[in-house]
Parts: sequence; structure tokens; C-alpha cells
Amino acid sequence: MLNVNNVQIVYDNVIEAVRDASLSVDEGQIVTLLGSNGAGKSTILKGISGVLYPEDGDIIGGTITLNGESLIGRKPDEIVRSGVVMVPEGRQLFEPLTVEENLMMGGITRSRSGATEALENVFDIFPRVKEKRSTIAGYLSGGEQQMVAIGRALMSSPRLLMLDEPSLGLAPQIIAEIFAAVSDLSKQNNVSVLLVEQNAELALSIASYAYIIENGRVVMDGPPDKLMDNEDVKEFYLGFSESGHRRNMRDVKHYKRRKRWLS
Amino acid sequence: MDYFILLTVSGIAIGVIYGLIGMGYALIFKATSVVNFAHGEIMMLISYMAFSIASSWTLPFWGLLLVCVFISAIVGLVIERVFIRPMLGQDVFSTVMVTIGLAVMIRAVVVLIWGADPLLLPTDIGDSGVEFGLVFLYTSQLYAIGLLAFCVLGMWVFLRFSRMGVAMRATAARETTALLMGINVTHVYAIAWAIAAVIAGISGVLLGTIYGLGPDLWTQGLRAFPAVILGGLDSVFGAAISGILIGVLENLSEGYIGQGLKEISGFLVILVVLMIRPYGLFGTPEIERV
Ligand SMILES: Nc1ncnc2c1ncn2[C@@H]1O[C@H](COP(=O)(O)OP(=O)(O)OP(=O)(O)O)[C@@H](O)[C@H]1O
Ligand SMILES: [Mg+2]
Repeated sequence: MLNVNNVQIVYDNVIEAVRDASLSVDEGQIVTLLGSNGAGKSTILKGISGVLYPEDGDIIGGTITLNGESLIGRKPDEIVRSGVVMVPEGRQLFEPLTVEENLMMGGITRSRSGATEALENVFDIFPRVKEKRSTIAGYLSGGEQQMVAIGRALMSSPRLLMLDEPSLGLAPQIIAEIFAAVSDLSKQNNVSVLLVEQNAELALSIASYAYIIENGRVVMDGPPDKLMDNEDVKEFYLGFSESGHRRNMRDVKHYKRRKRWLS
Repeated sequence: MDYFILLTVSGIAIGVIYGLIGMGYALIFKATSVVNFAHGEIMMLISYMAFSIASSWTLPFWGLLLVCVFISAIVGLVIERVFIRPMLGQDVFSTVMVTIGLAVMIRAVVVLIWGADPLLLPTDIGDSGVEFGLVFLYTSQLYAIGLLAFCVLGMWVFLRFSRMGVAMRATAARETTALLMGINVTHVYAIAWAIAAVIAGISGVLLGTIYGLGPDLWTQGLRAFPAVILGGLDSVFGAAISGILIGVLENLSEGYIGQGLKEISGFLVILVVLMIRPYGLFGTPEIERV
């Protein structure tokens, strides 16, 4: 369904944020994109959503297609209409607006009646959001905000939902709730999910395929069990070494400097 | 006491116009983060257009106002399309410079077309008025009060209940996320300019009716500016209320302290207020980024 091929993205014409990224997501599949800070994960998602230009970013090579049609150069609202929507990193709610207004803005590309219908669906998925519907979004807890952010994206009835670090700063039990909802959504409604995470263990637990990106390059990919068996993945992303002991950060960093990923 | 009431009421009468003008500034700033330095000039341009219309056809006041509302909306859309949209992606400062250039242009165009002599905007309400005890208000001043109330209510309904209005608030809050959700931000900007121009048009027709026209009418835009700052640049309703406050204050300071203070009292007040509340009386304190 979504195909990203050898994509290269620069900011300000010089900063190479993504050097060579290829990945694909099939209908109804949950795919995760793992990588450390600054690897280029968010940049890839922004490239798919068509929102690089406000940050002076540009796709200078490669292709991005949805069911064979190119997404590059299309306006963000057209991309949403074609069924691809993103939940940005850090939730990015419209803080001064109420929860319901936030959600309705997620449905802006649809008719008013379509949006009202979608609102009920979101309330079914996240009952807690319904309770808070008239609260100012900026006053919600982090977990509630993440639910609103996901709900807002779902308002457009996407075929592909892209989540940028949804677990960031949330308590384990809220994370579990959110991940369960995402997983249900993909199973029941056949929505594809592209999940960007730092929490590799969590992401690998619900994904059916994973990519690892480093310094703007996809350096490894495969099904979760294959990656989880890989020593390097264990080391960097799952946080334990062969002996089963967690290494301290300094060791890992030192090791990382020496070792480069090979695909 | 009578003197006080007199000063206050006539202060309100001019203050509502400051409020209207201020709402236009605040709306554009809120939606697009640009201070439109041509706002007073747009107001002047439309009041002169109103003069031409009123001299060619005999229209009742409300008819004239309605025609001017349509024309203003078009003027707003054209200005946005021709001067502002090409600046998208440039920094805000450049856009502000464009509005300054636009202001100078409009001033020149007005003198070119209509000349520099003062003119009277002929309307059917003329010099009529109503006596309230010791204060006399012109019909046009009463209309001004009513129109400010109407615009405030209209803006409130628009921003609260219409999809475009909510989208405008969303865009003001987070532009990139607005894009991500599929909000047509370009469209939102254009509508903001159109509405601001309509409000400018209404204030222009009122000013023309009450005080007549002159090539320096744009200075009323500057006079209203303290109201916008006082209200908090991004608060449309704050601008409306602060307009009235400034109008009253100008009148009181002139009446009790002395001539000349009228022009600067507004600016003095904002200096003091901004020291205590840098984001104005009703503005948003820099919202914490989560
Ligand atoms: N607007 C921008 N202008 C210039 N450089 C940028 C911009 N945004 C990101 N970058 C750079 O591009 C690279 C990739 O950033 P990106 O945000 O995609 O990383 P990420 O994988 O999402 O990291 P994180 O896990 O910290 O969110 C980084 O080196 C970053 O400094
Ligand atoms: Mg990121």
C-alpha cells in the first residue's frame, strides 16, 4: 500500500536528515520504524505527510507512493484525503481548543455529518476522551492528550495511520491501553499502521515487520522475532547484552561509536 | 459629575470605533501572526469607496453599509492574494514590511483618485440624533455602538461554532498541526483577511459618516493601535473592550488634565499595562509547550 523508495531528505538545502530510506507498509499491517534520536524517523513521516516545506525541508530523491500513486509534491490536505494521516511527535494538540473541537479539526477534510459520525467512533475507541469532550485540550493529562491526538487523526478515517513516538512520556498502563487500541484498530478495521518508536520492545511486540534506521539510513529490517534475535538490536534497542545484564549508557555509547550497522 | 458622564459617553462613542478597528488588527495577528500596518489605510480606502457609491446612488445608511461589506471582503481577498500570499514561507517581518509598503501605496492612491480635500460622506442619517438626559448622541454614534456589539457577537459565533472559525483558532494555535490535519491554511488566511477588511470597512463607513473623510483618515488606525496592544495583540474581543477603554480614557484625560494628552494617553496606558501584563489585558500568555 505505502512504498517509500530510496528517499533522501534535506533541510535548508544542506542538512541531510534522511540519506537513503526504503520501507513499505501493506494493507492492515503494523510496521514499526526504530532508531535513536536524530536518526531521521520523524523526518520520514513528515515527508510522507507533505509537511516538510514549513521547515524548509525537501525530498531530493526517491519515491513515495500510496497504492502506486506518488505522494511527493501533493498538498497535506490532499494526502489526508487520500487516507494517510499522522499523529505528530509530542501530540501537538490545539491546546486552546476543547477536546471535541480538536477532534472535529481532525475531520475537517470530511463532510460535517461524516465528521460527526467519526466522532462517535472515536468515543467508542477511547471512552475517556468522551468524558473530557468539553475540556480545554491543554489541561488534559499526557495520556489523555495522546488519546485525543490519535482520535483526532482517526477522524479522517485513515487507511494508514502514522504514529510518531506515541509512548513518549507516558505511564506503562496508559501505553498498554493505547497500544491495545491501535492493535484492535488494525485488526478490526484493517487500518495500516506505521509506528515510530524509541521503545523497541514495545513496538516489536505489536508490529509484524520492523525497520531500523540510523543516521538517515535504513540499516536493517525484518520480522520482529528475527530482529529480536539479533545481538546488535538486543544491545542497542532492547538494552541488554548477551549475558543478560543491562550495560550502562557509557559502555553502550562507546560501543556504538566503534560499531556501525551493516545491512 | 455631569461633565464626567458627558466625557465618558462621548469617549465610548469614539471608543467603539477604536474597538472595531482593533478587532481587525487582532484577527489578522491571531490568524497569521502578522501585524497589518495597512489596516487603517484599508479602512480609509473603503470609506472613500463608500463616498463614491453614496454620491452615485442614493442609498439608505444600511444599504450603503451592506454594499461596502461586500466590497471590503473583495478588497481583503485581493490584498491577501496579491500582496500577502506571495510572502508565505518568508519570515513574518518581511510580511509586516509589505503591509507598511501597502499602507503608503493606499494613501497615495486615495489622494490620486479622490484628492486631498476633506469630503462628507452623504447618508440619510445626517445630523439626526437622540438626547439622553444631558448627553446627545448622533444616530451614527448609536449605530457605531450597535455595530461593535454586532461584530463582537458575530465573531464569537464564527470562531466558536463554524468549522472555518474553529479551523482559524486551530491554525493560530499550531500551524503545522493544522496542515497535518488537512486544514487548508491558505484558505484560512484569506478568510481572516476578508473578515478583517469587512470590519475595517464598517469602521470606515462609520468614521466617514461621523467625522467626514480626509486623506489622513488612516491615522485613526494608529489611534486605535493602543487598544490592540492593551487587549493583547491576539485577542479579538480584548481589542473590542480595550477600544472602549482607550476612548473613554482619552476623553477623560483631555477633559480633566488638558489638551494634547488625548493623543498620547492611550500609549501611556499601554506602557504601564505592558509592564505588568506583557501579553496585554486579554492576550494569551505564551502557552506552555508540552
Ligand atoms: N527543521 C529542521 N531543520 C534542520 N534540521 C532538522 C530539522 N528537523 C530535524 N532536523 C535534523 O534532521 C535529523 C533527523 O531528525 P528527526 O527529527 O527526523 O529525528 P528522529 O529520528 O525523529 O529523532 P527523535 O527520536 O529524537 O525524534 C536530525 O539530525 C535533526 O537535527
Ligand atoms: Mg522524532
